Amino acid sequence: MLDKNAIGRASPPTLNEVEKGAIRRFAEAIGDFNPIYYDEEYARASGFPTIVAPPTFPASFHSAADLRELLGVGIKSLLHAEQGFEYERPIFAGDRILVSTRVAEVLERTGPTGARMDVAVIDDEGRDEDGNLIFRARRTLVVRAAKENA
Amino acid sequence: MAARKLYFESVRVGEELSTLVKPTIDRVQLARYAGASGDFNPVHVDEAFARAQGMPSVYAPGMLVMGMLGQLLSDWSRGAQLRRYSVRFIKMVWPGDILTCKGRVSDRWGTEGRYFAEVDLWAENQKGELVMKGQAAVQMFYSLEDENRQRAGHGPVIVDVPRESIRTPAPAPSTAPEGEEEASSEVASSEDEPELRVASGGKKKR
Repeated sequence: MLDKNAIGRASPPTLNEVEKGAIRRFAEAIGDFNPIYYDEEYARASGFPTIVAPPTFPASFHSAADLRELLGVGIKSLLHAEQGFEYERPIFAGDRILVSTRVAEVLERTGPTGARMDVAVIDDEGRDEDGNLIFRARRTLVVRAAKENA
Repeated sequence: MAARKLYFESVRVGEELSTLVKPTIDRVQLARYAGASGDFNPVHVDEAFARAQGMPSVYAPGMLVMGMLGQLLSDWSRGAQLRRYSVRFIKMVWPGDILTCKGRVSDRWGTEGRYFAEVDLWAENQKGELVMKGQAAVQMFYSLEDENRQRAGHGPVIVDVPRESIRTPAPAPSTAPEGEEEASSEVASSEDEPELRVASGGKKKR
């Protein structure tokens, strides 16, 4: 069982600068060639101030969080079970976003085979430098802790 | 030239998003995604490592698949503001898989000049198996006129639109003919688990 005391542990905010090249490469990797991710003029004609980032782009942000440290265990494997985003506004090229990570919940669930699983719910949050919220993200992870003497 | 925009007045509950068939996923794409996302977990890029973990091969990160379903979503919701997007990862995705992304408008409502739609989204592999399912909420202008008014600094077009949903149809009026009762209680019990019953065009797990 994961340590319940991990709930509430958080990492300090880390600055992420959103670069046009990074947006393009991210959209390319998905195979999404929507011009709002590549073409400045097209993005403006679509009503945006500049190039926009795809919805899952926050997945590329760095956070100071080390899950091992936050959860307080060695991790053998992590299974990503669920992911959610809430957006206050779109993310644009040129944004400077402070990303912080927090352990929202640690719980035990029974899997389909009856085996018990440790589940950690991790929240990420992105704010601009004035403190305005840009997005929230929530990851639900099935955690297998490394055995002490394995 | 910007593409045609999505306005609330043209969104219909039950409407299907144009299906998106993605090219076959290969190891080059997994490497590209690792580089672009900064997630270099070796189970996605190092074949020898993945096999040593007992996997048949490397496999796609769930976030790549969420990105593909996000493409379907943004292709449909042009000009709308994405408010929420969430998914459940259901089945692993491997090199060689061809994913088909689908969606359907489940809800729409408008209040105080703000207009929203919710969509159910899901991805299937080439065997018709569900690999991911999700939901999203978008906010949009009521119409081109609404957009023009607001961009000119005027108040929004206000039309009160009660929530319409394929998940929770409006309860039958009390004057409903007999025989309706059973149907509506079934609807109520299915609310607890908003499964994609309507959505599983493919095979269902038993």
